[in-house]
Amino acid sequence: MSEAELRAKRWENTKLSLSVFFANKAAVIGLVIVMAYVVIALIDQVYPQLIGITSAGTLVPNFFSPAPSPPSLTHPFGTTYPGVDLFTSIIKAIRIDLAYSILVVAIGAAVGSIIGVISATVGGLMDEIVMRITDIFFSIPYLVLALAVGFILGRTLLNMSLALAIVWWPLYARYTRSQTLSTKEFTFVEAARASGVGRLKIMFKHILPNTLPPVFIQISLDLGSIMVIFSTLAFIGFITNASIPELGYLTSLGLGYVQTAPWAVIFPGVAITLFALAVNLMGDGLRDVIDPRRRS
Amino acid sequence: MDQTLKISDLNVQFYTRRGIYRALNGVDLSLKQGEIFGIAGESGCGKTTMGLTIIGLLPVNAAVTDGQAMFCGERDLIASFTKAGAGETDKFNLRKSEAVVKKVNKELADVRGSRISMVFQDPMTSLNPVLQVGFQIAETVLTHQPRSLAERKLARARATPEDTEQIVNLLKEGADEQAITKYAESKGLQGIETQVLNVWRRNDLGEAKKEKIILSLHSEKLGSFEKIVLESVEKGTSMPGWMKIPGISRAAKNVLLKEGYTKAIELLSMLEVPNPDKVVRMYPHELSGGMRQRIVIAIALANNPDLVILDEPTSALDVTVQAQILELTRHLKQRFNTSFIFISHDLSVLSEVCDRIGIMYAGTMVEVAPTDEIFNNPIHPYTRMLTRAIPRIEGSEIQGVGGTVPDMRKVPLGCTFNPRCPDATEQCRTKKPEMVEVEGGHFVACYT
Amino acid sequence: MLLASRQLVKHFPLKGSSAFGNPLMLKAVDGVNIEVREGEIVGVVGESGSGKTTLGRLLLGLLKPTSGQVFFDIPDNVLEEYDNYVANKDLKKAADIEKEYSIFNKRGDMQKDIRKKTNIVFQDPYSSLDPRLNILDIITEPITSTGYLSSNEAPKRCFELLDEVGLPRDFAYRYPHELSGGQKQRVALARGIATLPKFLVLDEPTSALDVSVQAQVLALLRRIRTTHNIGMVLITHNIAVISYMADQVNVMYAGKIVETGPKREVILNPIHPYNVALISAVPGKIVKGTKIILKGDTPNLVEPPPGCSFHPRCPESFNVCGWTSGEVASDLKYLIENKYADMFKAETIVSTNANGNVIIRNASIDQVKDLLTLEKDKTRSLTAVDRLSESAEGVELWLWLHQAPEMYQYADRLVSCFLYAPQDEKPSSQTTKP
Repeated sequence: MSEAELRAKRWENTKLSLSVFFANKAAVIGLVIVMAYVVIALIDQVYPQLIGITSAGTLVPNFFSPAPSPPSLTHPFGTTYPGVDLFTSIIKAIRIDLAYSILVVAIGAAVGSIIGVISATVGGLMDEIVMRITDIFFSIPYLVLALAVGFILGRTLLNMSLALAIVWWPLYARYTRSQTLSTKEFTFVEAARASGVGRLKIMFKHILPNTLPPVFIQISLDLGSIMVIFSTLAFIGFITNASIPELGYLTSLGLGYVQTAPWAVIFPGVAITLFALAVNLMGDGLRDVIDPRRRS
Repeated sequence: MDQTLKISDLNVQFYTRRGIYRALNGVDLSLKQGEIFGIAGESGCGKTTMGLTIIGLLPVNAAVTDGQAMFCGERDLIASFTKAGAGETDKFNLRKSEAVVKKVNKELADVRGSRISMVFQDPMTSLNPVLQVGFQIAETVLTHQPRSLAERKLARARATPEDTEQIVNLLKEGADEQAITKYAESKGLQGIETQVLNVWRRNDLGEAKKEKIILSLHSEKLGSFEKIVLESVEKGTSMPGWMKIPGISRAAKNVLLKEGYTKAIELLSMLEVPNPDKVVRMYPHELSGGMRQRIVIAIALANNPDLVILDEPTSALDVTVQAQILELTRHLKQRFNTSFIFISHDLSVLSEVCDRIGIMYAGTMVEVAPTDEIFNNPIHPYTRMLTRAIPRIEGSEIQGVGGTVPDMRKVPLGCTFNPRCPDATEQCRTKKPEMVEVEGGHFVACYT
Repeated sequence: MLLASRQLVKHFPLKGSSAFGNPLMLKAVDGVNIEVREGEIVGVVGESGSGKTTLGRLLLGLLKPTSGQVFFDIPDNVLEEYDNYVANKDLKKAADIEKEYSIFNKRGDMQKDIRKKTNIVFQDPYSSLDPRLNILDIITEPITSTGYLSSNEAPKRCFELLDEVGLPRDFAYRYPHELSGGQKQRVALARGIATLPKFLVLDEPTSALDVSVQAQVLALLRRIRTTHNIGMVLITHNIAVISYMADQVNVMYAGKIVETGPKREVILNPIHPYNVALISAVPGKIVKGTKIILKGDTPNLVEPPPGCSFHPRCPESFNVCGWTSGEVASDLKYLIENKYADMFKAETIVSTNANGNVIIRNASIDQVKDLLTLEKDKTRSLTAVDRLSESAEGVELWLWLHQAPEMYQYADRLVSCFLYAPQDEKPSSQTTKP
């Protein structure tokens, strides 16, 4: 087979992977929605004026008419207390939520994965100790920890993310550990040892790249979960700053008016749920692609 | 019923995302009663697909586009498959395929496990790890032949001491299976003949002990519920309606299962399993690989099938254990009149047990001949190269076969072997050769 | 001697069995001496549980032994000296030799040197190549990590190797999943000889391949051996392959070598009873001999049978081979209850007593004598009975004490069986205490 034929075969393989993903209608919908969120966030970040946002990053209250008003032409999603336009606020909030969720998952995944791989490769007593440490962290309720961190370091979005990352890394440690344990058994690891490769190098060259693909799927799924948790913390009033656009916080603003102005709760709430759902659907599709036992 | 199985022009293909794999392209096979037929071939030749097609266990994405599989001259096993598969061979309709599979399952339910059974390669995954092995054997008898279980137990209950004495006398005089059966039937004791003969044929017991056991097979006590259950099962061919009531059905089943365990013990002792009465209560993970495979074989033989398909039954076993199983297979052939299809990639294994061997390559049968002929007089170029490639214990030279197995999505025109065949001619490349009989019983599909 | 092992032992602790004190150990390799000369192919044959895979790993230093030594590139006379020192318990001198030639105590550059001179080819081509690396990276890995060549020169060597194993050069940029099984195995082979090692371990190199492909790979192996004078240990359960490839053959059973010698002898003229049964069990021989069908299953490696570990299944075992009173008792029980049920009363009970003897109650000494005479040839455990005596408990059977066989020289091979022990080393029969 020549170079050209090889390239053609590889393209065929890629097309195959894509076709598996796109065969899953729900996953495609999920992908579209997630992409939409990302685009919205990017627009808000780079060029908010495009959709008429003048003051990015903060909520704009309108104290002249603080009561929530229903959706209309000037306010497509209505307003919530105190007179904040929901449409623009949700867009601003999506950017903030997405950014912080990514931050949390990134830190948690990075720290957890490295610990997990090292722990499984070294094994023995260290492995036991690390596992017991993760047990301890698993038993900490994230709410309590977040509150504790908030009171010590101050109740900001950044600290909230920190608290969540602390609770989140053990999951990745466990996950990558089990992946590593099974990858370790492959004979190419032994072959590398027989060829004179040092243990550290084996870990990073052979084991890590083979354990990561399933971890990426887990990361994408976690984005949805983290977003929900993040919003929950903001909802119960974690943040002291009253004008940070955040989906959970927006939801809490409308809480007092849930009977008279349900849209004030529904729109931000749906924004959270929709993202979580979309991420899950997309993750399912990704799993179909990466799992070698795909249906033909 | 001389021909257990006659397959003609079987064509099977698989729909995958990467294209249509033509797994079988016009395969013929005829199997005589009581013979062991081996199917040999390397990976990708389609031999496993053959086995699965016969018993109807094809996956949803398979389609039988042509062919017939006449079983015992009575029925075509793959009729529903072919009806559905003929015609549109390019598109794949999942719903339609699922419906076909459902239909086939329903149709073949009465043959699978009773008249045709299959033994797979890995005994650990063939057995249910949470059920006792005796239960698994008993279950298959219960499902297909509950009446035989009822008859057995009732026969023992109804037999009188005089009956058993008479049977022992007959055996001592050298009566054969038919005579014992006739006697049993004349006394209304059907079901006792297999039990008696199994004991008599054991070679780990002394004659006196065997007599003692047989003489004790009478006047067995039955509880009143037991009696009702057994007699109503005996009357009908399957379980009567009232036994399907939830609470009662469990109890009724247990009555029959208990007898099933006894039958399992019988089967296991025939398969030379030591301590069968202890083994039936064990779980698969407590047994070694060879033992597990024996259990699987016992399940396959429990209902006296006409055809047993063995798909690489010894490939996962050690050499010495494999020798045990092959020896067992030879004994079974003499004992029962069952026909066997033995699928393996290892020609040496096939040479030990088979009467005839068929060599498959890329979805076609290229040569069929008696075992000796295949080794002493291979005709087809592939067969010749294959036999030369097998390392022998005598250390003779071996030679590989150049090239690779073709991509089954684009099966070569004409003879499938022609790209690798050193003697290929123009004709080989254009027209597919038919199977011709070269000598008595030796068939080859080749022009040279 | 290119490679030599001495009394190599590897015990694995069973997980979860160390409730208190010592965990149960799986005796995978139990005292193996193996020797490989330059350019020689040494075959190791055995079934599952024989310990051959573990042995392969030990010989390369991929596993650390529980005890024992593996020497690399040791002159014959030094090896002899070592054996002498050990026999004379001159441990200090022995330790000096170990320090120099053992493969287990090397660090740093010396370790890299060993890795350069040795390598392994595995059975399963699908898991022995890292799916994330391309063929070039896979083959050059041993070259660069042992410092055999610089990373600039490595690719050139890779292409040479691809030529040698018969693969086109542009395969270097492919990934393992784009190759067939046979092609993958050739890549594994290329990697194995990349640093021109003097010693190669091949663990079932062709068991996952089709017969036609296997023939090609084996021919390639032979070519490589001759061209580069590489000493190989070929581990497999396929005796026909060993017969085709090996010069010397070792047959393993339950972690020990039971017979070793030139291939012609060990395979075509086996003498150890296990080896005889193994060779007879090989299917498809041109000259069909009688088959010896062994009873029973592969031995329990946690508690291997005492004495000679093959004795429970050996058709030729006799009194000192390792029969325990438990084995004799259960065999007798079975015979009395079944085959000889008419000879004995129903109340006959067989058991063992505190002396380690077998007791039969409610039977006469003559009955037992008759049974023994009739059944001795078929049930080998009965050969362990030395004498009978009558006591209050019943008939007492005194057994011979058992011993473990050494490796005895027989013609040009070594066998681990009392049948072939030279006269002066035949086990002295001692019975249990009178």
